[in-house]
Amino acid sequence: MYLHKFRKWAYEGLNLKKQAEDLNISVWQSPGFLFIVMGLIIIAAMWGIYFALKNYDSPNVLVISESSVVVMFLTIGSFVISSIEQVARANKMKTEFVSIASHQLKTPIAEINWQIELLLSKFPGGLSEKQQLLIGQIAHSSQKMARLVDDLLDVARIDQGRLALAKEEVDLCTLVNEAIINQRPFSIVSGVELKSSCPVTSSKILVDKKRIGVVLDNLLSNAIKYTERQGVVEVFMETKESSVQVCIRDNGVGIPRNEQSDIFKKFFRSNNSLKNNADGTGLGLYIAKNIIEQSGGKLWFQSIENIGSEFFFSLPTVKS
Amino acid sequence: MDKKKILIIEDDLVLKNALEEFLTSEGFDVSFAIDGQTGVEKVISDKPDLVLLDIVLPKKDGYEVLKEVKENKETTHIPIVLLTNLGGVADVEKALELGATTYLIKADYKLNEVTQKIKEILNIK
Repeated sequence: MYLHKFRKWAYEGLNLKKQAEDLNISVWQSPGFLFIVMGLIIIAAMWGIYFALKNYDSPNVLVISESSVVVMFLTIGSFVISSIEQVARANKMKTEFVSIASHQLKTPIAEINWQIELLLSKFPGGLSEKQQLLIGQIAHSSQKMARLVDDLLDVARIDQGRLALAKEEVDLCTLVNEAIINQRPFSIVSGVELKSSCPVTSSKILVDKKRIGVVLDNLLSNAIKYTERQGVVEVFMETKESSVQVCIRDNGVGIPRNEQSDIFKKFFRSNNSLKNNADGTGLGLYIAKNIIEQSGGKLWFQSIENIGSEFFFSLPTVKS
Repeated sequence: MDKKKILIIEDDLVLKNALEEFLTSEGFDVSFAIDGQTGVEKVISDKPDLVLLDIVLPKKDGYEVLKEVKENKETTHIPIVLLTNLGGVADVEKALELGATTYLIKADYKLNEVTQKIKEILNIK
């Protein structure tokens, strides 16, 4: 029985690949591998002490020295390895939490969306205009909740360094035009004119198309939100030697100077957003900056209160 | 023309009922399984034209179902659409490696869009 237990322990203890997979780390970071390294260091230290002290005529000094080294290395080494294992387990739990939270939060959202779609598509004749309007408002609230869940999960992934980008070659002008189409209804309701222009030369970039779409939607919707009726939001693109730059300019309320250094922080909302009663969670710009930077680009802005803002981002172009 | 058979493997009854109702109204013959084990058995016995498969399931998860169906010579040809709310890149890659035809996030797709995808895969206009 003890032999079986020892074999099982030795197999599990030495099964480095499985340990690494269980903790989501590489094999050389696994506790088993680190214990092997620690063992080799202890043996080397013991040999070193033996050779250093072999000329001394006192076996007690040698024994005490060897014992001290072994105890010291074992204590410190075990503490360090145990800490590394705890950190790895905590990181793994965080990753699993994001995955589980994503699934658990999105399931009721899907349930609401599909029930609403069934109601509106399969029973329209049986609903009054007022009922259809109310159901439309429920659908809108559900979409807001879905966006918030997506934003919170993206923030969690960014904080863990796990925001994965599925890159493909796309034309930035196409993405800009798609974002303009998406935001057109909002701009009409807000009474804001939306203009854009694309450069003559092609602007191919290697990015996660969906994520850059999110960045554009975020910057455009912010520009529209913070621009008064009859204002203008313009989108310019400029092709440079090895990059393409997009500018989203508005003649809206601008960002107060004392708040500009906080604009890309998580959950930050400018006082102007509260004055204007603008919707938002304060996560959009934090996420946008991370997406652009992970795509190899930069995101920055200029703003003067009561005059307007310009948000810029640049991305490297694909060499043809 | 014979109706195309769709098997839904989904443990959430609200979602399953919504899918079943919508797909039936669109002219499909719909059956369902509430867990992974029953799902595998039904794929083998009924040979549906397409399977809509959730990942988080009792008894056997979607990946195991996908693997078993694709390893069985009699069912390997059946297109399987993963319909789930697990949206990590690793989840998608794993599913596609195991032979899923495509991967849809339930909260991001309307019933109409799911139906259009099914029609594209089955070449129905």
